[in-house]
Amino acid sequence: MNKKKTGIVGIIITVIILIMLVFISNMNLENLSYIENAVSAVVMPIQNGLTYLKNKISRNHTFFEDINKLQQENEELKSKNAELEKNLRELEIVKNENTTLKEYLNLSEQYGNYETKAAYIINKDYSNYSNIFIINIGQKDGIKPNMTVISEKGLVGYVISTTDHTSKVQTIIDTASTVSATLSSSKDNLICKGTLEESGSLRATYVPTTASIVQGDKIETSGMGGIYPKGIHIGTVKKVVSTKNISDRYAIIEPAVNFDKVDTVLVITK
Amino acid sequence: MKNTLIVIGIILLFLILYFLQINFFNWFTIAGISPNLFVIFVLFIALFGGKRIGIPLGLLMGLMLDFFISKKIGVSAIMLGVIGGLGGILDKNFSKDSRMTIILMTAVVTFVYEFGMYILNHFILSSTIEIIPFLKIIMIEIVYHILLVIIFYSLLQKAGYYIEEVFRQKKILTRYF
Repeated sequence: MNKKKTGIVGIIITVIILIMLVFISNMNLENLSYIENAVSAVVMPIQNGLTYLKNKISRNHTFFEDINKLQQENEELKSKNAELEKNLRELEIVKNENTTLKEYLNLSEQYGNYETKAAYIINKDYSNYSNIFIINIGQKDGIKPNMTVISEKGLVGYVISTTDHTSKVQTIIDTASTVSATLSSSKDNLICKGTLEESGSLRATYVPTTASIVQGDKIETSGMGGIYPKGIHIGTVKKVVSTKNISDRYAIIEPAVNFDKVDTVLVITK
Repeated sequence: MKNTLIVIGIILLFLILYFLQINFFNWFTIAGISPNLFVIFVLFIALFGGKRIGIPLGLLMGLMLDFFISKKIGVSAIMLGVIGGLGGILDKNFSKDSRMTIILMTAVVTFVYEFGMYILNHFILSSTIEIIPFLKIIMIEIVYHILLVIIFYSLLQKAGYYIEEVFRQKKILTRYF
């Protein structure tokens, strides 16, 4: 009798868990952002402080370097600076000239068009299978879900959810991430996915059978899919793996951004 | 009184573990694989406190973790809840005094947790399944967890028996008299 009862209880609990799972998986994270706000308000100040401390400590190792060396370097840098300033003035003139010429030609700059906001990474995912991180700007700074995140070197990922002062960013090397990409040279389309096989790399699949893809080819976003704008640099082809069937061949892409070391990013707001 | 003190202690310990996990174990890794301290924590609480404490604690902690840093709410909550229940069942059937059984329990629980997480994430986020790299990661993680348990065994056991004493006093009496 008792065993029968526990069996029934077990079945009921399993059913409840399954129903919960369905609800949870279909729930929108944004609807819960008020809870997230409360939670992050407690933890993020401490995390911010810890990150600041960590950065301070990790950058202080140069403090004890030889003073003579620094003086010499200082002299060199001063002379270099003077030269650069001169160059800058020349460049300014050329730039002005360039913009006027571009206006004539109706061309626009590639990244200059985007309005960006700089952010610090304050928290990284601890799981071994996913790669997301938290940045220190949120809704109140004008950040919305699905905004693209880049760094000075290339594509980083996109915003998946926001709270008042923080946002979660899913990187392109996350195993759940998919980016529609093109080869810069031949404009052939590819799909780049995060992979566990070589952590920190991307796997490019659906390579067209006619496409010629070789090591060192540059990859950029294609603009399809609605999240990432067109023409953002993703990385370079590290190796091409051929299979028996040519339509199954894939390439491993080395991202331009080093995700272990990146600590500041730019969010494209417009 | 003692109960509430222990609960507050557990919550504080959770926050400490969280910051340790995020800041320290992110670079203190074996072949790039970091351990998951929460799995070990929930397992030990459930082993010594029973599943009545293990399951709610696992669920609550998982939910907090999901809010802090996760793509979907509820996945780690469910899996840590399962670990809480599993810890209670293991406690009923095996001895906690032997180092060997604790090590085996850690290995099994780590596997169950990571496997469950991977499968749930696959269904919810449709990430690609790569079995061999996944198994490699899980093996390294299990080894890492076992090492941590061996190092901190005596400390964990002492704290565990203290918790057991407080939470199960009445039960033990009814069991023997």
